Amino acid sequence: MTVSTTNKYEAIIGSDDPLRPENVEMSSKEVCLFLSEYAVSLLGCGATCIRLEKNINRMAAVFGKKVDLTIMPRHVHMTVRHPGKDDIFTSIASVKPAPISFSLNTRLSELSWSVADNHIPLGKAKKMFLNVISSDTENPWLTLLLASCANAAFCGIFGGDAIAMAIVFIATALGFNLKQVLLKKGVDTRIVFFICAFVSSVIGAADYLFPYGGTPAIAIGTSVLYLVPGIPFLNSFNDMLYHHYICAVIRFIDAMVLTGCLSLGLCLGMKLMCVSMF
Amino acid sequence: MLLEFCKDALLAAVAAIGFGAISRIPQRAYLWCGIIAAIGHSIRFLLMQPGINLHIIAATSVAAMIIGSLAVFISPYAKTPAEAYLFPSLLPMIPGIYAYKSFGGAIMCMLESSQESFEYYFYQFAQNGFITVTIILAMVICATIPIFIFKNRAFTATR
Repeated sequence: MTVSTTNKYEAIIGSDDPLRPENVEMSSKEVCLFLSEYAVSLLGCGATCIRLEKNINRMAAVFGKKVDLTIMPRHVHMTVRHPGKDDIFTSIASVKPAPISFSLNTRLSELSWSVADNHIPLGKAKKMFLNVISSDTENPWLTLLLASCANAAFCGIFGGDAIAMAIVFIATALGFNLKQVLLKKGVDTRIVFFICAFVSSVIGAADYLFPYGGTPAIAIGTSVLYLVPGIPFLNSFNDMLYHHYICAVIRFIDAMVLTGCLSLGLCLGMKLMCVSMF
Repeated sequence: MLLEFCKDALLAAVAAIGFGAISRIPQRAYLWCGIIAAIGHSIRFLLMQPGINLHIIAATSVAAMIIGSLAVFISPYAKTPAEAYLFPSLLPMIPGIYAYKSFGGAIMCMLESSQESFEYYFYQFAQNGFITVTIILAMVICATIPIFIFKNRAFTATR
């Protein structure tokens, strides 16, 4: 039997009165603070600007409010007003640095639909929100295994032989594990990308040093592909389509900086191992 | 050729699932992600075979458009935003070898002092770099367009 999203949340939070008269009396300040918190969490997990706008407006309409938003990659500036009343509140919230998570993105979007379709009151919506953001966990070992298999598969797609694929698997496993550890310790993302690309390329160069494989160039070239910042690139173009040009440009620059860091790491690794590309 | 075709599709699926895990897509979307990537990559593979012989840029654009459309139409069944499928499914089509050669050309330009060598490596850098950038742009734009066109379907996927 399929359990709807609303029922799933109600099982956790407990059902509430269906008339929801409290929504009518809510101040803009209360709504604004909740929506700001929601917005920075959604943006932090890698959502596009248009998704953020739609989700926020969907929930604000249920609370009887209008919202004006300015979305920047690091901050969300929001004004909530009650139409026809002198009740306006503005807040600026900072985006929380968090890893890309489409799982969290999905659950926060589900929450917005749940609030809109069932006219869920603010107090209950807050509880549901806290439940969503506190339960976004992953199995780091499973992710490590799948990422290593993915990069090895990449090597195969680009024509690498079995030896090259095995080397890329090991290079990715070590590099990705290092990335997980360094990010957990709070090291700057750019430094993490540089170090991980360096480590993976040094290990990827093993195919050059030992005469077992026949595709060493493919092994070293694909050993760092797990670091490609694809989501910021995609989000950047998506934002551009919906006229969020400032956000699009900043996301693009951010992705380019990370690509530059990974290229520098790869370059240094190849120089250290005396590997030439041609 | 059939073996190569199947191998290509399988590797694309494995790569997409792995990169889906990196971007933390919901586990229920893993299978769909693998299927979308396998279909997209297989189409590009077929379009580039002798007979059709489409250029890599055109073949990638067609495949990306199909990936974007599949992502929009499958997302309501998997209750996952369509964007979640795009990056993992498109990544197997990234022109890795062109990017690698372009990057190598740029480095060699800096290291070589003779004019002849510099010109050769600059040609490598420019030609491969141009192809890389064009493919990536075509891929991203073509994959995003279906989400833009079918926005109502795309944004109600998690309802």
